[in-house]
Amino acid sequence: MTEAVRLDGITKRFPGVVANDDVTLSVERGTVHALLGENGAGKTTLMNVLYGLYEPTEGDVYVDGDGLTYDDEGAVADAPRRFDSPRDAIDAGVGMIHQHFMLVDPMTVAENITLGNEPRKWGGLAVDRAAAREAVLDLSERYGFDVEPDATIEDIGVGVQQRVEILKALYRGAEILILDEPTAVLTPQEVEDLFEVLEELTDAGKTVIFITHKLGEALEAADEVTVLRDGKNVGSVETAGTTREELAELMVGREVMLETETPPATPGAPTLTVDGVSANDERGVTAVDDVSFTVREGEVFGIAGVDGNGQSELVEVVTGLRKPTAGAVALEGTDVTDASRRARTRAGMAYIPEDRQERGLVMDFDLSENGVLGSQHDAPFAQGGRLDWTYADDHAADIIEEYDVRPPDATAEAKSLSGGNQQKFIVGREFARDPACIVASHPTRGVDIGSTEFIHDRLIDLRDEGRAVLLVSSKLDEVRGLSDRLAVMYRGRVVDVVDPDEVTEEQLGLLMAGEEPEDVPRADPVADAADATDGVAGTPPADDADAEVADD
Amino acid sequence: MSADLGDRVDALGTRGTVAAAAVLAAVLAVAGLAVTGSGDTVVAVVALLFSKSTLAAALRLSVPIAFAALGGIFAEKSGVINIGLEGLLIISAFAGVYATSITGSVWLGVVGGVVASTLLALLFAVVCIEFRADQIIAGLAIWLIALGLAPFASQVVFGSKNASAGATFPDIQQLLADTGLPVVSTALVGALDALAGVPFLGALFEASPMVYLMFVAVGASWWTLNRTSFGRWVRASGENPKALDTAGVDVTRVRYAAVLLSGVLAGVGGAALSLSLGQFVGNGPTMVNGKGFIAIVTYLLGNYNPVGALLSTMLFAGLDALQLGLQGQDVLAIPQSLVRTIPYVSVIVVLALFGRTRIPEAAGEYYESGEE
Amino acid sequence: MTDADGDGSADGGPPPRSARDRAFDVLDRLVAASATERLLISGSALLLSVAIGFLLILAAGRMTSCDAAAYSLFGVGFCYDPILVYDSLFLGAFGDFFANPLNGQFATTVSETTVLVFTGVAVAVAFKAGVFNIGGQGQLVFGALASALVVYALAGAVSGLVGTVVLVTVGVAVGALVGGLYGAIPGALKAYADANEVITTIMLNFVATSVALYLAGGPFKDPESFANQTRRLPEYALFPQPLFPGRTDASLLALALAVAVAVGIAYLLRRTAFGYDVRTSGIQPEAAEYGGVDAARTVVSSMALSGALAGIGGAVYVLTIAGNFQTGVPDYGFDGITVSILAGNNPVGAVAAALLFGVLKSGSIVVDVGTDVPPQLVGVLRGLIVLFVAMPEFFRMIGKRVDVRDRLGGSRDAVATDGGEEA
Repeated sequence: MTEAVRLDGITKRFPGVVANDDVTLSVERGTVHALLGENGAGKTTLMNVLYGLYEPTEGDVYVDGDGLTYDDEGAVADAPRRFDSPRDAIDAGVGMIHQHFMLVDPMTVAENITLGNEPRKWGGLAVDRAAAREAVLDLSERYGFDVEPDATIEDIGVGVQQRVEILKALYRGAEILILDEPTAVLTPQEVEDLFEVLEELTDAGKTVIFITHKLGEALEAADEVTVLRDGKNVGSVETAGTTREELAELMVGREVMLETETPPATPGAPTLTVDGVSANDERGVTAVDDVSFTVREGEVFGIAGVDGNGQSELVEVVTGLRKPTAGAVALEGTDVTDASRRARTRAGMAYIPEDRQERGLVMDFDLSENGVLGSQHDAPFAQGGRLDWTYADDHAADIIEEYDVRPPDATAEAKSLSGGNQQKFIVGREFARDPACIVASHPTRGVDIGSTEFIHDRLIDLRDEGRAVLLVSSKLDEVRGLSDRLAVMYRGRVVDVVDPDEVTEEQLGLLMAGEEPEDVPRADPVADAADATDGVAGTPPADDADAEVADD
Repeated sequence: MSADLGDRVDALGTRGTVAAAAVLAAVLAVAGLAVTGSGDTVVAVVALLFSKSTLAAALRLSVPIAFAALGGIFAEKSGVINIGLEGLLIISAFAGVYATSITGSVWLGVVGGVVASTLLALLFAVVCIEFRADQIIAGLAIWLIALGLAPFASQVVFGSKNASAGATFPDIQQLLADTGLPVVSTALVGALDALAGVPFLGALFEASPMVYLMFVAVGASWWTLNRTSFGRWVRASGENPKALDTAGVDVTRVRYAAVLLSGVLAGVGGAALSLSLGQFVGNGPTMVNGKGFIAIVTYLLGNYNPVGALLSTMLFAGLDALQLGLQGQDVLAIPQSLVRTIPYVSVIVVLALFGRTRIPEAAGEYYESGEE
Repeated sequence: MTDADGDGSADGGPPPRSARDRAFDVLDRLVAASATERLLISGSALLLSVAIGFLLILAAGRMTSCDAAAYSLFGVGFCYDPILVYDSLFLGAFGDFFANPLNGQFATTVSETTVLVFTGVAVAVAFKAGVFNIGGQGQLVFGALASALVVYALAGAVSGLVGTVVLVTVGVAVGALVGGLYGAIPGALKAYADANEVITTIMLNFVATSVALYLAGGPFKDPESFANQTRRLPEYALFPQPLFPGRTDASLLALALAVAVAVGIAYLLRRTAFGYDVRTSGIQPEAAEYGGVDAARTVVSSMALSGALAGIGGAVYVLTIAGNFQTGVPDYGFDGITVSILAGNNPVGAVAAALLFGVLKSGSIVVDVGTDVPPQLVGVLRGLIVLFVAMPEFFRMIGKRVDVRDRLGGSRDAVATDGGEEA
């Protein structure tokens, strides 16, 4: 066995936090090694140490893309590395592809790939653009990538951008590639393509470390998996000799038993009607294209899709944050297409926004003040333009109590709360409006398991009270588990509306990737029944577990 | 890249045309309000517009704005919005006069202006890059400091808020003649002399050397931004500093370099402003009188392209030249103090029409390496 | 700034419920990291600016020539004596306060402070809404001019005490109206055309100065004066000055109005739905939009309010200090920026910061008369103070050596263009 990377007893402390606690990790050359764990388990911190972004508080880093050397007793003979900056790591052959791509949008593929290492001519007075282009084409051909060097980053798709990131690392001579949550933004098909690329790379002798919280993907793509929990290495296993259950248990430290049991809905009259809505994104490009659907009282209508296919813009049109270019939105039979945010809130529309820290809460306000957000002009919060802070304090205290927000202190600033508690407070505030219609956009994104279950239960309760729920989520299991009807969006269009109990993950995946519904093979009744039983019996399908422990 | 460039030139063309039309409309609106005469006035204004002296004045007035705009482009492209350009112009205008009065050489005066401006830019850079100051407030502070410091120093050194340098730039012909080089000092000067006789465009051939330096600086800035590694780093640093950082380039150093470069360029502009008149005027808003702020608008209008910035600079400077001409010739029945507002009003009009410029993604934001 | 509402009566926690709670609340806020920190930063910025000014005076003293050194340090002689300069600047502004608190120099300080409270609060209001109003000067100039013209036009119609009440009220109202309209222009340009308010307000300052010069030098010029100014207002049209004998410029009544306006604005921001909208869109525009705040309208109305306050400042300037409109209005608008920034954009704090700048302005006259040092020194100090207040990180880095307690979770920049409140 030849290791390309050995991390020996790495500890990384931040003021008040131990992100990595004595982690030892060994990665064999020419393999894919998955680093698996929940959010906050310390995966990214560990890799940032390897990439020179952080200096470890304790421990040694050994790296050699061609494999480490050993002395007679089997100990590593290489000197430990000391990376002061990513530049040092790059020089040692380590490349990192971050979760959020490190690309300069208005620049071209070739400019991005060569950034910081531009081939020069005329004694440095000019970038040799022809040489840069050639180098990119060469690399791209060698690994079977299909990228156009002169395309501008903002014009190419996410999957291609990811390849540009990989090429960027390869251009810098990376022998060891670190990929941070590479599948988060990809369609299932793009994920498959990525895994093929990873195989190409390891065949060519590269070593890949792949950070993920999805154990299904870790099992599929990796040769070996290391699980981190609370900053500690809780075990490294060969994928060949392990099971999903074993990995799941390692990850969360207890047996994972998650089920979404939803009694059937009894839908009533239409509450929210979206009719032929189109809208543009910030750049003026069509993001929502002629979308129509109706959400009835007493049902959850789900929208599934890979992030960035128009869901966000659609939600903004529905809630009054974005003007549609065409179409109409009606709430309980009244046209609200031109109604303001405030008018819609007053008309009974609650809204859990996808970005709680940007939109949902004013981070520097305390919870009392945040409890007023959206109602600051309405009685009983305001009387004749004057705010009643005594009422607001009581209101916030009620939400805190009912939704178990911690710390239970209405004077705490929103920014001092954890993500899950922030979300619970928003959910509590929105539900307290006694809404006819609830628009919930990624309501459990980045929320811990306990809060997720709680929010799910509350959504179902509200549905059963006869309210209409529009649920948008990129977590497949969430939309499948909660929705009574499920629309799939791709490139701004609703490609199909399905009964979530009658489609498989694979079929949904194909729809989300833009396949026409008629081209998607429907599962035969037997398999269908099996799938349904799966959910009811409470043995969670593996991918459910994936997403549930997921925490982006 | 080339397609990209084509797009940019296209964009510039459209923007430029619309902007020109808008500014012209603004001028006509103002003029229309107070025009008492009819045909004669229009003819007089048009004649003035195409007179050689107007072009000469436009070129002269362009210099400080264009240099400041070039500086602003580098700083903002790198992610540091330098709203203190006005202050840099003020300090270098004074330092240029001061250095000239001591050394007797305008060229050393320019060096003095550049040094002063660069030092002030360094202060700005340290405050923004090292100490995370709000860039807008810090830039404003730079302006206020210079606005106080230059007249203060003038009062201390010259005993008055206004100061004389005792020298101005030679014109290009004189400069070349003085070189004593065989062909240059004779034939070339002769040729320039002949070309200077051409109506209107003749002004291009008898301008101050700083005008030619301005054209060179515009070209060099374009090249630096678009064709060199440094230029790419500057752009990346303003768009996605983290991408640059993870590519192994020190964002802090790139930003320091860009802000200091803005100090150097604005310094040339400020010194050129005061030394072309041979004096520093420190009353009220000083002789710089908003040129630094106009520079910001010109590069926004020019979409951060040095050539575009030069074109829009010439537009504003042309308006200013026309305004001066109108004051001098008493063609219109508009009072001077109202005519003087034309450049400022047109800045507002242009900004209102083209306010939606795509500013660099990370402009105005503090960046710290390794920050998650 | 030193009021019990240290962290801003406009942005503090929930209202107190009982006397005891209230006392604790006050204490809490006094020790709240952000408030004390802001106070420390403002104080340190001031001290640092004064220190640099000290060096500047010494340097300037070396650059000029004189017969005898006024000051010597380590055997080196300097023409200017920084101690004397600062003594004149800070203490000179109070005159012989203990012998006669109503002395002339202190009257000047009071009158300057009064105008600065208005411009300071004007800038603070806009800041709270996330808008940087550098156009206070232009709004003040137009407010002053309009007030002078309207009051003059009406002065003939009324007289006596009734005349004073009517004319002063009308003068202030006209100043507010005109200043407000002029402030609403850049607000609307920002809200509906996305035009950067920093640039437009600066341009509008130039426009205002030129147009005012035209009006005061042309159509409305006082025919009996060589200067470009409007006709003098009769004394009964000005603010009454019951305390300062023989002075028309310093009015405690005007000062009381200024303080009342500052407190009122603080109340407006903290206790009303409009104030909630303003603060929310200032700190976090996306959240404000989500919360149903019409961002465009809030920008326009807060800029109109800001302009109105600056316009009142102009009216008060005419009705106390100037007695008519004169071109070459002092830089109250720009000083308002410094006042606001120094006060952390807290309207009540702005009163204290305005007093400081009133002292500096008044003191600079003493410096001008009593020393050879150019009074533009105050302009430099103004810039330095703004610069240092803008870089809290500097003081924090120094502070960290002393106290590492709030390295984590400490509030961010005390002043910023994005609302600059708790942010």
